[in-house]
Amino acid sequence: MPLYEGIGLGTEKQPVVIDIGTAYTKFGFAGETGPRCIISTEVMCQESGRIKKIFSYSNEEELYSLLVEFIHNLYFRHLLVSPKDRRVVIVESLLCPSVFRDTLAKVLFRHFEVSSVLFVPSHLVALCTLGVSTALVLDVGYQEAVLIPVYEGVPVLHAWQAQPLASQAVESNLRRRLAGPEEGELSPHSRISESTIEDIKVRTCFVTSFERAHKITAGQPDPPPPSVSYQADGSSTVDVPGSARETAYEILFEQDGDEMSVSTMVLDAILKCPVDMRKELAENILLMGGTTMATGFKARLMSELKYLVTTPKYAKHLAIKVFKVHKPPAKENYVAWLGGSIFGGTDVIVTRSLSKEAYLKENRIPDWANLMYNCREDDNKSANL
Amino acid sequence: MSHILQSDVVRYACTCGSLKPLSRIYFCRHCLKIRCGYCVSHEVDSHYCANCLENLPSAEARLKKQRCASCFDCPSCLHTLSTKASTVVVPSSDEKTVTRKLYYLACGFCRWTSRDIGYPDQTVASGGWPEKENPHASRIYNLLEHFKTLALREKQEREKKKKFIPRRNIYHLSGLSAAMARKRAGLPSIGPSSLKDDVGGPAELIPSAATEEVEQLPEEIFTDTLNLLKVTTLKQRLAQPEFQPQTVDELYPAHKCLLIKRSQRCRSCEHNVSKPEYNPGSIKFKIQLSAHYHVPEIRIVTCEPLRAGEKSEMIIKICNPTQYQSSLQFSPLPSPEEEAEELSKEIEERKQKVDRKDEKTNREDVLLLLPSICRQVSITEDPRPVNVALTGDISLPPVTLVLPPRDDAAEYDDSGDTHNFQDDPKIVVWRKANKAAMKLVITPEEDISEGRDVIVGFVMHYTYINTMATQLLEQREPQKVNLKVKLYITVGKVVGK
Amino acid sequence: MASKDSVKIAPGAMVCNECELRGDITIGSMTVIHPRASIIAEAGPIIIGENNLIEEQSVIINRIPKGEQPTSTPVLIIGANNVFEVDCHSEAMKIGDNNILESKSFVGREVELTNGCIVGAGCKLTCPEVVPENTVIFGQQCTRRQQMDKPPPQTLQLDFLTRVLPNYHHLKKPFVKGKQ
Repeated sequence: MPLYEGIGLGTEKQPVVIDIGTAYTKFGFAGETGPRCIISTEVMCQESGRIKKIFSYSNEEELYSLLVEFIHNLYFRHLLVSPKDRRVVIVESLLCPSVFRDTLAKVLFRHFEVSSVLFVPSHLVALCTLGVSTALVLDVGYQEAVLIPVYEGVPVLHAWQAQPLASQAVESNLRRRLAGPEEGELSPHSRISESTIEDIKVRTCFVTSFERAHKITAGQPDPPPPSVSYQADGSSTVDVPGSARETAYEILFEQDGDEMSVSTMVLDAILKCPVDMRKELAENILLMGGTTMATGFKARLMSELKYLVTTPKYAKHLAIKVFKVHKPPAKENYVAWLGGSIFGGTDVIVTRSLSKEAYLKENRIPDWANLMYNCREDDNKSANL
Repeated sequence: MSHILQSDVVRYACTCGSLKPLSRIYFCRHCLKIRCGYCVSHEVDSHYCANCLENLPSAEARLKKQRCASCFDCPSCLHTLSTKASTVVVPSSDEKTVTRKLYYLACGFCRWTSRDIGYPDQTVASGGWPEKENPHASRIYNLLEHFKTLALREKQEREKKKKFIPRRNIYHLSGLSAAMARKRAGLPSIGPSSLKDDVGGPAELIPSAATEEVEQLPEEIFTDTLNLLKVTTLKQRLAQPEFQPQTVDELYPAHKCLLIKRSQRCRSCEHNVSKPEYNPGSIKFKIQLSAHYHVPEIRIVTCEPLRAGEKSEMIIKICNPTQYQSSLQFSPLPSPEEEAEELSKEIEERKQKVDRKDEKTNREDVLLLLPSICRQVSITEDPRPVNVALTGDISLPPVTLVLPPRDDAAEYDDSGDTHNFQDDPKIVVWRKANKAAMKLVITPEEDISEGRDVIVGFVMHYTYINTMATQLLEQREPQKVNLKVKLYITVGKVVGK
Repeated sequence: MASKDSVKIAPGAMVCNECELRGDITIGSMTVIHPRASIIAEAGPIIIGENNLIEEQSVIINRIPKGEQPTSTPVLIIGANNVFEVDCHSEAMKIGDNNILESKSFVGREVELTNGCIVGAGCKLTCPEVVPENTVIFGQQCTRRQQMDKPPPQTLQLDFLTRVLPNYHHLKKPFVKGKQ
């Protein structure tokens, strides 16, 4: 079989690249220009017949069976290749919980018998799509916004920032605004399904301009954009007022009690970096994650940054005037995947992967958070022997 | 009952610990063990298009990105598009008019047509549709080339066995994990000095340049009414990941995804338990070791209303599907300790099997040099304990029930051939050919609340004639083996007093 | 219940005898009504235009609105070239031209169909609204899209039916006025 498969295509089986996000999973083959599919990270529960999100797991065993079901679907419904003896690249966040990582490795090696797994951190491989080695990578996904500056290919970990300011926050904000302040729990809008809220968000909401947002906070808003009446199904309509369309995303930019917003995350991270790195980072910003695709998001972030550096809080410490963003050759929601695809399309996959044999011997995967793998060579020698 | 509508009333415990109805489990004739979809290894057998039923070899399917060349999906509702013909009158050069057939794509469900997005009609019925390409493709290939050279250089330098001095730490991007990978690969770790000697990567790649300009929010958004019918839904966008169109006039038809036929292989003996025929139109199997043909089937015939703490009678029908006589016995489920012991025995057995394989491969050094030739050591998951809370007690008669072999002709024979079995009429209430009905007594738990399911379980021991003579070469005769399977029956709900 | 059952069938219309017509109904020419279709003018008259195709089991009702007493007699008007497919149910008071109600669809009283609308199989519309022209409603969630042009009229099918139906069914005579 492998001989036949290999005709004219090299003998290697194409590795599979998977980026499991909290809301959506991107996957495809290494060396291709785009993911094959982007699907919701959820499975249909066999017993109850209900949809269950992978990340809603309560214990390891449950996660294990959810992942088995989910990855089985991935391979046999969408990718249409046998997982056995095929290499896998997993694009993961550096902040991915260890239990998820370990369980995923166990599922891939034990259940699907893949030949090797290569874990790549999403913030780092995203740079593969640019061809640069220094950037401030801001990933705004579903659950949280994670920012990690990367300097000369090394993540500046102590400057990382993470805030629960992402899609989920926007959606619950939108839900509140649709329900109206006075109606509360009893209003019909509190029963709108999550997918409907998501669709309303994607199709009608946008990130308003900096000037207008300021007027709104000052209490003198400009006339709101026109309202939209959204037909949820044949029997109900949701009136989306213009103010809700305009302000749904404001939760990302409003500074909360600790004066934290998506834009301050950027500046705080730059502040935490050494002085000689700051300018370069500010001029190499990479935005990724589905939420950054919202209309007006980038424009707003840029004007926020320009304004914030002039405020007393930052003006004292930061002398940066210019911010520049990169345009990756992909849609923002699969930038990390594309990085993994480019990275996994090279020979590195042979040299850097964790092979099945190695996994079986050690029965665990290397983890930067584990000191065993993250000490200096000399310290480790005695421990290893 | 393995009926279509009541599939999970009688569930069999698979060797791996999952509970499935008889119709969903396999019986590996080589290991003589029950397997299920969870514990067999699935393999892609052949690709085919569900719409045109064309069979594609896997190499070709891969070239076409696992999509059908001639069928399309509707970009609006994701159903299959059909080709529609329309006739038009075309004035030809010599004053005559010629009718020509023109084809366009149309969706029968949401009535989307290729005319909606301005695709010109085609003169041929299949193919010829414009293909959309990723606008960034060449840039991505450049990047890929660039990183391939880097990776290659890294490999070469290591192969030279020279002291590897990384030039601007070539594969710097993996950052933290790079450090670990280097350790595994036996490379010296990158010192901070290497960051300084900046030689630069291969010259051909122009790194992306960041700009201050970003897409500004259009001013009209504050004044123009939004026409929802013109904006695509998230589902439509994600169906075309590389383009993710925002408006409906950019929705282009996508090639239809292929489907696969799957074969399933027992993980411990590597024999197929299910292998379909290649032809996509065929629903037959080359190999189908469904448990339905090998393991006695149990169905509930009747059951008295269940009341908490009270006895009620249940009649079950047992059917022997094999070509040989089988004798059955019933015993209560093992205690948790016994079960744990059994599990560990099973795991041990597997380990030995793996070890044996290891020895085999170790002996033959050639195979070690060419790891692709020898089969990978199959590692399987450890079986899990069955996770079901019993809510009732079942009293099992201490009889041995002998069931004659299956005889298809007997189905039509009304002579009532009873084979003269000496059955206790209090236990075996009815008997015909290879089937028998048996009376059992069920006692739901005392404290079970009304409306809850009563679940009982027992172990069924049955004799099975192993016809796979290849297992032990000296024994050509079919061999009689004693097998057992754990059964869980959801009898029904508890009714009021 | 309207006591006066007066059905006016224009010449050229094909109305099968086995269909149920109750109340004051006007049927335009070339309209085909299959057996077992029900047209019930409960609250007021129903006026059906030309070239409509009303298939088996479909129901068109001019229903008395719940609770309130109508101040004036409501009139249900259906335009031309509409298709009511098998087992659809329409209570809409105003239906324009060239609409299609697919099988098992439901259109409520408060809905108004303009022209060229398609209500997909099994779709249920109850929310008060005026459906804009050339809207296609389809799928479980009643997803909408806008079509470039309206669906073509079923001329061929109508011609065929007008030829074939009289061979196998008793037809109601195209009376100008009177009772069945």
